[in-house]
Amino acid sequence: MTQAYDDLELDALLAGLRQSGPQPSAALQARVIADAISAQPRQAPVIAHRPARRSAFRALADLFGGEGALAGMGLAAAAGVFIGISQPAPVAALTQALAGGGPLDSLELLPTSDEFWTED
Amino acid sequence: MARNTLADLPDETLLVLYANGDPDAARLLMTRLLPRVLGYATRILGDRAEAEDVAQEAMLRLWRVAPDWQAGEAQVTTWLYRVATNLCSDRRRSGRRRPSVPLDDAPEVADVAMGAEAGLIAADRRTALERALTSLPERQRQAVVLRHIEGLTNPQIASVMDIGVEAVESLTARGKRSLAMALAGMKQALGYEGDET
Repeated sequence: MTQAYDDLELDALLAGLRQSGPQPSAALQARVIADAISAQPRQAPVIAHRPARRSAFRALADLFGGEGALAGMGLAAAAGVFIGISQPAPVAALTQALAGGGPLDSLELLPTSDEFWTED
Repeated sequence: MARNTLADLPDETLLVLYANGDPDAARLLMTRLLPRVLGYATRILGDRAEAEDVAQEAMLRLWRVAPDWQAGEAQVTTWLYRVATNLCSDRRRSGRRRPSVPLDDAPEVADVAMGAEAGLIAADRRTALERALTSLPERQRQAVVLRHIEGLTNPQIASVMDIGVEAVESLTARGKRSLAMALAGMKQALGYEGDET
C-alpha cells in the first residue's frame, strides 16, 4: 500500500528545509558589498571654513579707520601733489618769500574776492 | 555606531543608516538578507548560479532604493522577496539561463548532530523534497516556498506576489497537494522530519 505524507508531515518536511538553505559564498558576499559601497550615497565633503585673505588695501583701510577715511586721505594727498606740481601764483609767491626771495608785502589768496566786498 | 547596537536595529532603520553613509549598516543588512533571498531564488529557479545572479541584483536594487525608502510603506524583506520574485520570473520568461548548476551540487549543511545513516536519509529526503518543489508550477512553488520555508504570512505573500490573500491560500493548498503526490511512495524510504529520534 502506498503511504503519502499528510499535511502536518509535509509542513514538518518543508520547515526542515529552512536550516538547509544554501549559504552565500565569500565571492558572492564580496560582490554584494562592493555593490553596496559603490551605490552608497556620498556625503558632501565638509570643507573647513577658511577666513578670506585680507587684501593690502583692506588692511590699510582698517589702519586708517575705514575705506571712507582712506579715500579722503588719498584725495588730500593727490591734491597736495597737484598743488606742488602746478604751483598756482599765490602759492608760488608764498614759497618764494619763504625761501628768501624777498619781502612779502601782501598775499592775495583770493585775488578776485574784492569784487564781492565793494559796493556800487 | 557600535556594531552590537546596530544589530538590534530593524532592517528599515539599517537601510536609512546605510543611505546616510554608515559603512557597517550595509554589511549587517547583507548578513541578514542575502541568505534569505539566495535560498528563495535557488528554490524558485532550481539553479545555484542563476540564484546568485538574482540575489546580487535584488540586493543592488535595495542599495539603490535606500535613499528614497519610504518608512512604513513596506517591510524590507517583503520588498526584497517581491524584487527577487520578479527577477526570477523575468529570467524564466526570457530564457536567459546559465548552464545549470543543479541543487545537488550546492554545498550541503552538514548533519553533524545526526548519525551517518540518519544524516544520509535526511539528505535524501531534502533532495527529494527540493526536486518535488522544482516540479511544481511556478506560482504554486513561490507560494509554498514563501509560506512554509521562508515563513511569511499570507498577507505578506499576497504583497510579494501581487495577488489577494485568498489566491495565496489556494496556491499554497494546491502546491502542497502536488507535493504530496510527487512524494507519494517515498515516505517509507525517507521517513519524515520528526522521526529520526
